[in-house]
Amino acid sequence: MDDRRHRFEALVLPHLDAAYRFARWLTRSPGDADDVVQEAILRAFRGFDALRGSDVKAWLLTIVRNCHLTALKQQQRRAFVPLPEEHDSEDGHAVVAATPDPESASMRRDDQRTLDRLMSALPEEHREVLVLREIEEMDYREIAAVTNVPIGTVMSRLARARAALKARWLQEADRESHAVR
Amino acid sequence: MPCAESMRVQAYFDGEADAVAAADIERHIEGCAECRALLDDLEKLRSALRQELTYETAPPALRARVLRALDAQRPAKWRLQPFWKGAFSGFAGTAIAAGIAFFLLAPPLTNPLLEDLMSAHVRSLMPDHLIDVVSTDKHTVKPWFAGHADVSPVVADFTEQGYRLIGGRADYLDHQRAAVIVYQHGSHIINVFSWAATKDSVPKSTTRNGYHMAFWQAGDLVYCAVSDTGWDELLKLVQLLQRE
Repeated sequence: MDDRRHRFEALVLPHLDAAYRFARWLTRSPGDADDVVQEAILRAFRGFDALRGSDVKAWLLTIVRNCHLTALKQQQRRAFVPLPEEHDSEDGHAVVAATPDPESASMRRDDQRTLDRLMSALPEEHREVLVLREIEEMDYREIAAVTNVPIGTVMSRLARARAALKARWLQEADRESHAVR
Repeated sequence: MPCAESMRVQAYFDGEADAVAAADIERHIEGCAECRALLDDLEKLRSALRQELTYETAPPALRARVLRALDAQRPAKWRLQPFWKGAFSGFAGTAIAAGIAFFLLAPPLTNPLLEDLMSAHVRSLMPDHLIDVVSTDKHTVKPWFAGHADVSPVVADFTEQGYRLIGGRADYLDHQRAAVIVYQHGSHIINVFSWAATKDSVPKSTTRNGYHMAFWQAGDLVYCAVSDTGWDELLKLVQLLQRE
């Protein structure tokens, strides 16, 4: 294996799971997360020579986030430009190639899980700091690097995100207890 | 009105306070019921998130896809052996394997877009990577793009003229999700890429490493047909598509 590829696989690919998790929480869709992660890994590979220093995970997650934002912008742009021949889509049932899709089943389970659902409903800037802090266990400086904001903003976002999630959680518990009665 | 120290309590909880500040905050928490409750909430929230939130790992299929994409990035000679095997075992034939070898040994292209198109074409010829939506029906392929690509290109079947529509695929190209329509012409595969035109001029049609690349623009989409078929055959498909 050539040396560059070898180093890339040794340093960056151990963070593929983290990249995928982060992409899942950003996109909230397994298919989009796959696309974002693949694009991010390719970009990371192309930019690998520029990587200095040690914080590979934060570097990779930064790229994942940028890829997500790019894809989002394109989706939004598409949403505002009506495409011609719209009627074509009415009669089409795409036959997707029969590749196994283990995510879709787990996605459905996800939907049923309260905390997953509450997290999904949070605004993106809340969701991302919570995932980076609580799941990926990154410190403020790393989160600031990934989300491209000052550390002070990370702190206040984190506080707001936690308060928002707690509020929704209490609401949910309240609704459930009413439903039981 | 939250306690003025709540931010510092959070920083303490997150392990961001140094020893001196930590001692200070601990003293404050002892005397402040509100901050004690906050600390308790933070702890509960954290353990709930770490225990109950679905903890995803990258699916094996994604891992494989990423490795394949890396293989196509900067192919080096050492990859030749496994590559050949893969190309022969899949439905890609001898001509394709020869084309890949040509690509592997050739110097890199200068225009990154051309390089991306080449990589995408070569990658598509690897087993299981050619087609995402299998169909010979344009009414199936076209709507599929709506959910998977950023553009909606002309899709048509030209079986009668010798160009059979065999499916579609989405590929990342020029930072967007390009729509790729796949045709079979004899034993050759032709990938027709399409993406939203930018301010950059449309590249001139060219031949690189044995692959012909024919570019054209229609409306606000740029198209590029790539194949190792002959120029005349490729241009015939381009004309058919332009007439659609």
